Amino acid sequence: MEGRIFDAQVVLSPKNSPRGKLMTQYVCVRVTRMDDVDIALFERDWINTLYYFILNSDEQIYLRYGGRDARSGETYLDLNSIELALEKGLDLHRKYQQGELPKTERPKPRFPREIPPLVERTFAKNQCVECHLIGDFDLVDREQKGTLDKVKQLYRWPDIRALGIELDVPKGLLVKEVKDAAQTAGMKAGDVIAKVNGTSVWTYGDLQYFYDKVPRDATQVKITVDRAGQAVDLPIALRERWWLTDLRFRQLSVDPRSEFESRPLTSAERQKYDLRANGFSAEVARIGGFAQMLKVHELKIGDIVFAVDGVEQDDIANTPELYIKLRKTAGDTVTLDIIRDGKRMKMPVVTQRMYFRK
Amino acid sequence: MSLGFVLPLIADDDTVEWLSNYKDAIQEAKRTHKPIFLEYRCEA
Repeated sequence: MEGRIFDAQVVLSPKNSPRGKLMTQYVCVRVTRMDDVDIALFERDWINTLYYFILNSDEQIYLRYGGRDARSGETYLDLNSIELALEKGLDLHRKYQQGELPKTERPKPRFPREIPPLVERTFAKNQCVECHLIGDFDLVDREQKGTLDKVKQLYRWPDIRALGIELDVPKGLLVKEVKDAAQTAGMKAGDVIAKVNGTSVWTYGDLQYFYDKVPRDATQVKITVDRAGQAVDLPIALRERWWLTDLRFRQLSVDPRSEFESRPLTSAERQKYDLRANGFSAEVARIGGFAQMLKVHELKIGDIVFAVDGVEQDDIANTPELYIKLRKTAGDTVTLDIIRDGKRMKMPVVTQRMYFRK
Repeated sequence: MSLGFVLPLIADDDTVEWLSNYKDAIQEAKRTHKPIFLEYRCEA
């Protein structure tokens, strides 16, 4: 459901509807300005324009609701699952009041005014502190300070579908389909995801939040599921670069856009072209839509790219465009070594810094 | 902030009541012992 319609459906819930009856047991508050929000306490994927928290007056968060993926901004918004979240929130609140729910440690508060480039872009111009700007300028601030760790901070909010998990969205964390690593670990359709590395999760928002906390060099994540009332621990193997996600829809300023995508060469192809066995050489498979308009490069589909500024291999990157994202700054001009029609040549790429929608 | 479609929040007696200030919500939750349902809405 489109976000603005979902928003309207929730906000204008009739008191006598099932959802309204749940909501009247809450203090409902709708905040549309982010100026004074504690962005450490309410940390989330800032690209979401609609997001919910259930908490108590001690500011202990019981659960989160919302979240998106590369498919859509509304993938995980559903009126049925938000009712499940509202029911669970009441249950957790009862437990909290009865002393059955441990208190969680509150993170050190942090506010949008503590991010200088965000202040320059919004407060100083009397413009709105939009959610996506918080996330974007936090990264810009880190880049300017030289503290940006792209693997941890650029590639936030990894997609659980890369584990092979497809949820039955209206039913919260009920697993609808399983394949790949999740299937190998023993997850089954019908399981309900209950914990990530030992931390309870009640919604997709929780799952996304705690999955993002998994260290990027981890080799497995323990997902606990409820299977017919029994808790079952499933250690799921994390493949190399499990955190890699599609960044295109995020339009991040610190994401150097090279406007091409490539397919890593096979061992046989590397031998054929006399390229390093452990390099990131790859065949160009897609040219980005802005390549020609912004004069980014003159690559063609089928070109073999085997080096960026003379570098042919990297500890993490398995393609030249990932190497550029991780090791270069948006706006840098780099030189690719390529093979086209059997001939080796140089190809400049003027990476782009995304200012659109900023 | 775009004003293309910001909910007018025309509350009536039949729909759920919403506050628009977080600190007020905390105080109200303390007074009523209710949990808080918090919506963050950004119109990008």
